[in-house]
Order: sequence, then C-alpha cells, then structure tokens
Amino acid sequence: MSASKPSQSEYVTLVSGDGFEFVIPRSTACVSGTIRRMLEPSSRFSEAVTGRCVLENISGIVLEKVCEYFCYNEKNKNQTYVPDMDIPPELCLELLMAADYLDT
Amino acid sequence: MALRARQKIRAPRRGLTVTKTDDFETNWKDLSTSLRKIHTKDASNLSFEQLYRNSYNIVLMMRGEELYERIKVLEREWLEEEVQKRVTASISPSLLLATHVDVQDQANERREAGERFLAVLKEAWEDHQLCMGMITDVLMYMDRVMSTDHRKPSIYVVVMALFRDHVLRSPIRPDTKTTVYDVLESTVLFMIQLERSGHIIDRPLIRHCIYMLEGLYETITEEESSKLYLTVFEPAFLEASRKFYQAEGRRLLETGDAATFCKSAMDRLSEETERCIDTLSSLTEAKIKDVLDNELIKNNIAEVVKLEGTGARNMLDNDRIDNLRSIYVLSARVDSKKTPLTTAVQKRIVEMGREVNASAIASAAPSKKPEAGEKKPSEKEKPVNLQTVAAIKWVDDILALKAKFDNIWQNAFQCDQVMQSAITSSFSEFINLSQGAADSRSSEYLSLFFDENLKKGIKGKTDSEVDTLLDNGITLLRYIKDKDMFEAYYKKHLSRRLLMKRSVSMDAERQMISKMKMEVGNQFTQRLEAMFKDMTISEDLTSSYKEHVRQSSDPDQKKVELDINVLTSTMWPMEIMSNVRSEDVQLSCIFPKEVESVKQSFEQFYLGKHNGRKLSWQASMGTADIRATFQRSNGKTQRHELNVSTYAMIILLLFNDVPAGESLTYTEIQAQTRIPDHDLIRNLQSLAVAPKTRVLKKDPMSKDVKPTDKFFFNHDFQSPFMKVRIGVVSGSANKVENQDQRKETEKKMSEERGASIEAAIVRIMKQRKTLIHSQLMNEVLTQLSARFVPDVNMIKKRIESLIDREYLERVEEDPPTYGYVA
Repeated sequence: MSASKPSQSEYVTLVSGDGFEFVIPRSTACVSGTIRRMLEPSSRFSEAVTGRCVLENISGIVLEKVCEYFCYNEKNKNQTYVPDMDIPPELCLELLMAADYLDT
Repeated sequence: MALRARQKIRAPRRGLTVTKTDDFETNWKDLSTSLRKIHTKDASNLSFEQLYRNSYNIVLMMRGEELYERIKVLEREWLEEEVQKRVTASISPSLLLATHVDVQDQANERREAGERFLAVLKEAWEDHQLCMGMITDVLMYMDRVMSTDHRKPSIYVVVMALFRDHVLRSPIRPDTKTTVYDVLESTVLFMIQLERSGHIIDRPLIRHCIYMLEGLYETITEEESSKLYLTVFEPAFLEASRKFYQAEGRRLLETGDAATFCKSAMDRLSEETERCIDTLSSLTEAKIKDVLDNELIKNNIAEVVKLEGTGARNMLDNDRIDNLRSIYVLSARVDSKKTPLTTAVQKRIVEMGREVNASAIASAAPSKKPEAGEKKPSEKEKPVNLQTVAAIKWVDDILALKAKFDNIWQNAFQCDQVMQSAITSSFSEFINLSQGAADSRSSEYLSLFFDENLKKGIKGKTDSEVDTLLDNGITLLRYIKDKDMFEAYYKKHLSRRLLMKRSVSMDAERQMISKMKMEVGNQFTQRLEAMFKDMTISEDLTSSYKEHVRQSSDPDQKKVELDINVLTSTMWPMEIMSNVRSEDVQLSCIFPKEVESVKQSFEQFYLGKHNGRKLSWQASMGTADIRATFQRSNGKTQRHELNVSTYAMIILLLFNDVPAGESLTYTEIQAQTRIPDHDLIRNLQSLAVAPKTRVLKKDPMSKDVKPTDKFFFNHDFQSPFMKVRIGVVSGSANKVENQDQRKETEKKMSEERGASIEAAIVRIMKQRKTLIHSQLMNEVLTQLSARFVPDVNMIKKRIESLIDREYLERVEEDPPTYGYVA
C-alpha cells in the first residue's frame, strides 16, 4: 500500500530493543497492524518520517523470528497447503507476546 | 501443564513492563503530553512506538478502562476549550441575523461570513479527524482490549461523538439556544438558495461540511440510517427545497410561458442532480427529485399543458419538438399515463382533424352549384370536380397531420407507447367523425385519393416513392372503421380505372391490393382481385377473338376492331355502370349496324366458348376511336381521330347518314339510339358545348340541352392535334358523389351490411346451437369489427328477421336466448 508512493522507500528498518537492525520490504512489515499504523504516512510520527521503527520491548532473537514470519506470510499469502514454519519451542512465549504487541 | 504455562507467560511480561515505566501516572503523563502535541500538529518528534508502548503498558497494568476514560476527558476538554471556541468565534453576527432577515439584503455579506464559518468548521473537522486517526492508531492496543473485553465502542467512535456533542451541538453563546449546527444548516441552505438563484458558490467547501455530517452518527453504534446528514440535514434541506419549488412553480406559472416552465424545470432537474453529486450527497438525489416531481411538476403540469397561447397546443401547432420533448419528459416523470399531456394532444389532434374536415367541406361547397346544374359543362378548363380536389386535399392534409404527429411522437415523445395509442385513437376518432348529418366521407375521400394517385399522381415517381405514398394511404385506411364502405368505393373507382385504362401502372395497382390484403385481410380484397382476374381473362379473350375473326372472315370486310372486357357481374359494382334505376326498365341502346354486327359476332364467339352465360353490354363504360373527316368550307378536308365514349360514337355515327347541313333534334337522336336521357345529355354536352371538342353544333347555342335543340355536324371543327380526346362531361372521372348518389350508396351499403350481419349470426348460431342474446351480440360485433362497426339496432332487426324466417328460434325469455333451427 504505502510502497506505491515513490517518495517512500521500498524498505523499512526494524530495530530490536537490544540494537539489532532488520531491513525488510515495507509491504512485508505491514503484515503487522502496529507497524502498519506506525508507518502510516498521513500521521506524522517519527517512524513514518524516517522509516525506522525501534521496538523497545522486543529482543533481537525474537525480532529475527518475527521478520522471518513476515516474509513467510508474504510469500505464502493467498495459498493453500502452506508448509509449517519452524518455531523453536523456547521462543514460543515471547513470540506470542510479540505477536500480541504487534497485532499480527 | 496449564499452571506451568501461565507462570511462564507471566514471567517475561513482568520482565518487559518493569524495565522503565512501571507507573501508571508516568505513562499517562507521557501519553497525554504527546496527545496534546498531536492536537497541535507537532507529532513529527514523537515516536509512535513509544506512545503505543505507553498505552500498551497501561493496558497490561489492567488500567485500560481508566486510560479510556481519561482520554475521553482529555478530548472533551480539548474540544470545548479549543475547537469550539475557534468555531464559535468564526460565526459573525450577520450569519445569525440573516436567519430571519430577507435573503437579498445582506446576501453578499452573509455569504462571505458563511464561507468563513464553513471554512473554519471544515478545518476543525478535518483536524479532528486526522488527530483522532492518529490517536486511535496509537491507542490501538487499548482499543482492542477495551472493545473485546469490555464491549465498549472504539475510542474513535467515542471521540467523534464528542465532536458532535461538544462542537456541533454546543450553543454558540452561553445565553442562546442556537447551536453551531443550526448555524451550519442555515448557512448551507442559504448557500444553496444562492446557487439556485444563479450565484456561484464554493461547492467543495459545502461538500466537505456535508462529508462531516455524513461522518457523524446519532448513535454510538453508527448505523447507516443514523448519519447526522440523514437525520437532521436532509429533512431540513428537503423542506427548504419544497418551499422553494412551490414558490418557483407559482412564479413560473405566472410568467405564463409553458416553454419557459419546461425549460427551467428541466434545468432545475439537472441542477439538482448536479448539486447532489457535487455539493451534497448522492443519497439525496432520488429524494430531491421526488420533491421536484411533486412540487414543481406534478402540481403544475396540468396547468402548464393547458396554458393559453404557449401550452402544449401551441407547441404542437408550431412543431416545437424541443419543448414538447421536455414537457413529455416532465410528464413522464410524474405520471406514467401522462394524462394532461395525452388529453391535450388528443384534443388538439381532433381539433385539427375537424379543421381538415371542415376545410374539406368548405372547399367542396363552392362546387355545389355546378354540381346542382350538372347538365351544364363545368366552367373550369379541367373537368375535375372541386369536391374531388377537396377530397384529395383532405387526404393530403390528414397525411400531413399524421406525418407531423409521427414526427413529434418520434422526436419528442420518445416513441412512447401510451402516446402512440392516444394519437392513433384520436386520429381514428376524427376520421370517423360524422360530418354534419351525413356519415363520414372519409372512406370515399380516401378511395378518391388512391384513385387520383394511381391515375396521375405516381407518374414519374420512383418505386419507393410510390410505395411510401401507398403506405401512407394504407395508414389512413387503418383508422377507418367502416372498411366495407371503403371497399365499395374503392371497387367503384378501381373498376373505372380498369375499364377506362386510366391506371398509370398495373404494378402499383397490384401492390396496392397486396398492401390492403396485409392490412385488412384476405376477404377484403377477394373481389378486388377477382376484378383483376377478369381483366386478364378479357385480354386473352380479346386476342383470341381477333384471331377467330381473322380466320373466319375475309380481311376487307372488317372495319371495326373490338376490345372486350368480360366482367363477372357479382365482383364488379354493376350499379354504377348501368345507371339502372329500379323503376324504369332499361332497354339496351341501339348500336349502329356496323357495331351491331361486331357485337353479334362476338356474342356468338363467346357463347360458343362458354355455354349458358349471359352477356349484357355496358355501353356506358366503353370508349371508341373513330376517324372523322371534316369538309372545310374552302373545300379542303381535315381528318381527326376522335377518342370518344361508346355513346358519343353512336351519336356521331348517326350523322354519317345525315346530309350536310341537315340537323337532328335531341328527341330524334334519342329515338334512334335509345341512349338513356342522362347519358345522352352528358354526351351531347361534351360533343356540342365543351369549347375545345365541339364536333357538333347546337342550335340554340346554350349550355343546357333541351329536347327541342337541334344538332349539326360541325365541319369547321378545329384542333391542333391529330388525335382528339373527347371526355364525357363529369361522367367518367371518379369524383365525389352527390347527395343522391350518396344516398344510393348508403342504401346499398346498409343492405350489404344487413346481409353480412345475417351471415355472421347464422355462422355463429350454427356453431353454438343456443346462445344468450348478449353473447351473440358480442360475437357478431367482434366478427364484423374488421370490416365495419355494425349498428346494434340493425343486428337486433336482423335477428328478428331470422326468427321470422325460421332460421332461429327463441329458446328462453330470461335471459333472452336463441336456438339454431337446422
């Protein structure tokens, strides 16, 4: 949606609480309702202006998995018989919380 | 497992929340300052994530509800203190005053003030919308929890409702009841009023304010129907429009010009449509059109149609297609039957039809005199009777009228079915309208029209032109109710055309017959076709007779050539050929001996071929070519070929035996020829009185032919042409009947109708055996309606007569029932 505007960069940067940065396509990141609103161009929040979202309460490990999920979601959307994504059990809870937070 | 799982969930949550902000107040403080910044459009330094996290934390602290309430308070304060003040400040006194003051007075001032106010309001609304969008986004987490867990409406809905209550519905000043909304409404309506009276207004601005009303709802559940626009503004708008159009309708009527009315009504319609699209909401389009239809059109259309001088009548008269189209469109909007318009059109058609009828009578009237003294030759050069001209003019006029209305129907009435049937019925109404005491002459006139065209009119025209001409005639035939009448006349006229060989094109004649067949049916044309058949057979007969003569006798002896038409007496209208009155017995005229021998020879030949038939000779219908020699006084001789009627030929041949200078009196001629008085007088007139064809001299020279008059052969006959055609005065041409002939025809007609009615009754009864009177009537009427409209009394009489003659019997008295007697 927002990627269609030429003034906006195709990619956005997600930063974890402990400083890891993940650069992913905007459309992919917008799978998350929270991030989508965060980047909404009509609101002039700093995230929308810079294209850089600092997610204080998500750790790098979890955010990596989140980004993986974003891509997985993007790739497999509108498809049936999608292979399961591999989730390490130890990350389960934190991922659930992140999902809740990010409204994914 | 479950317990352990819950523990595990708790652990990381606490870890996260504890980090920096564990306190509700701290979080709230951050949040509320940021929200203010958003209101003041100072959001670019704010981090969405941070705000989001704040609200997230508060919700996790299970104090979401408190947050929700605090946001509401915050917003209300903001709206009351900032937005409302800004909006009310923009309301200038002129806006308030003008709600009661005459529109025209301070229009400009009020308009500017209005625009300012609307602009401020629009801005306030748009800001509010934008900020609320941002805030709602930030508080998304709270919203999710609140609306799912506590079933509270989304914060967005709530703050929108706040805007409604604390901005729109707040009094503009503490001491008045007038709210911002009231001002908004009156301002918008005022703007629309301005636009209706031709000013240009800032449409997008109003559109935005309408958007606002469309975005606000009466209830928190936000149903479509509870939009403020629909609940408050639209009714007010419609009411204002109703009043406006009531006044407008009156005003337009007072100007008294139907065309203007139609035009402005059409303009208003498109204007309102445009307004709904550009300025208001498309939801209103149908409703405002209803208002227009009812107030402007329905209440006034009848009067507009009737407007003296400019109404439908005038439009029809002057072919104002555009105006008619708009009046039609307007009528069609409010009434599928378009009653006022239809009545007006019908009335006008009948009126115009009457005019045509009247003018036909009027132009026929001067000819009454020469007709009365029919024994005199017409003073006109051409022997065409004025009345005939009138008849043809009548048909032409009606065709023109028909073309006119067809054009109007196609172009103005969009080929509307209702209109078409109205027009058709009007045409048939006036065409069948009886003229004075006499029955409608339309059948006769129409037949004369065909006669004229088939004789002369189609000369030099292309096939397609002829085709349209005939088609037009057929269209009129469709309107004529008494088709049997038409048939009788057509037969009569056709027979003259065929026998006198006056028809221009046999193809056209046949075409005509087939067209009639298609239009009226097989039965109708049967006899006409039989007439054609007779003609063809006669041709063969003539040629085979000639062959016969050539073989049987020596060539010198034959001087007279014979062309013969043998006609079946039932198929041809015999009564018009032999002017036989029932009273006097007709002795066939005496043919000169040359002709008599030919006649006998043919009779022999014909009866030899067809045994048991009877030939009767119709001298009145024939023509002859004779060669005449004129001895000039200077000794020279001049030859002319004369084409004359059979009777004239007989008369002229008499003079062969008369020595030069001698004369024959009228009585002598009659005694020697036994030509009926009527025909003799006419033929003598054409021979002795008509200026160009004076082959005989008459003593005394007068126009009337008296029994004592003497006739001489005119050796000084002059003509520039070798061949001279001598027509019989008012004899052979097809023309309008005079009163006597008409009575005759009508009498015959009613006899014929009586017979058809009897035949129909017997046909029906034979099938049904017994039938109630009314049913029998109905069936007879339907059976015969294709040919003519039977008179009910006549049917009754016929039934009586059939009972007398024991074809039918009365079976029962109540209800009256008849039975068929085999």
